[in-house]
Amino acid sequence: MLPIFMRLKVRSAESRGFGLWFPVILIWIIFGALLIALLPFILLAALITSWRGPGFALLLVYPLAFSVLWNLGGLHVETKNARSEVLIDFS
Amino acid sequence: MTEERKKILEMLAEKKISVDEAERLLSALGSSEPGNGSADGSGAAKIPWKYLRVTVEPGPGSPSGDKVNIRVPMKLIRAGLKWAALIPKNAQGEVNKALQEKGIDFDFSKIKPEDLNDILSNLDELVVDVDGKDKVRVFCE
Repeated sequence: MLPIFMRLKVRSAESRGFGLWFPVILIWIIFGALLIALLPFILLAALITSWRGPGFALLLVYPLAFSVLWNLGGLHVETKNARSEVLIDFS
Repeated sequence: MTEERKKILEMLAEKKISVDEAERLLSALGSSEPGNGSADGSGAAKIPWKYLRVTVEPGPGSPSGDKVNIRVPMKLIRAGLKWAALIPKNAQGEVNKALQEKGIDFDFSKIKPEDLNDILSNLDELVVDVDGKDKVRVFCE
């Protein structure tokens, strides 16, 4: 499932830190637009490198990027000790 | 119901085997089924787990008291592995060479999703005790 929100929490002994609910769906929209804008250049690069190099495998970037983003939901990273705390959660 | 189970029950119905024998055979079959720690290497095991978890709990001798809790979706791991297809072949050779120099005979280009399934289906629960200071647990859920 495509994550819609990212929860970010950073806290340290020196500062109060901050907590944030970020609507990552906005980033996905910008990222999607960027991928579309880059498509002609990637096609060109694929053509140029088709003799020797990655060639049309470069076009795999699109489905692979989509697959990673789509499956990012549920990722949870949390570290905590006496001095600091970091939490990143995609939901 | 699998073909093997059917066969065992048919043999029981035909009185070719006793109830005890049938029970033993069925339990042996159950322990080798996917998701129950299959080690048959068929690669066809369907992973019932959704997440790979890594936790670090500080032990009594831990100086920093670090606590780590990581949950990675299995699908994300599989999607990440597919990026390996984009690594140029000569770069893959360099990676493999560097690994071999460290004594690790491993070819990254040969990793397939089925291999990952094999690894994960046998990863019931792994606990690593680091010098009695921290307890590292790697498991699936």
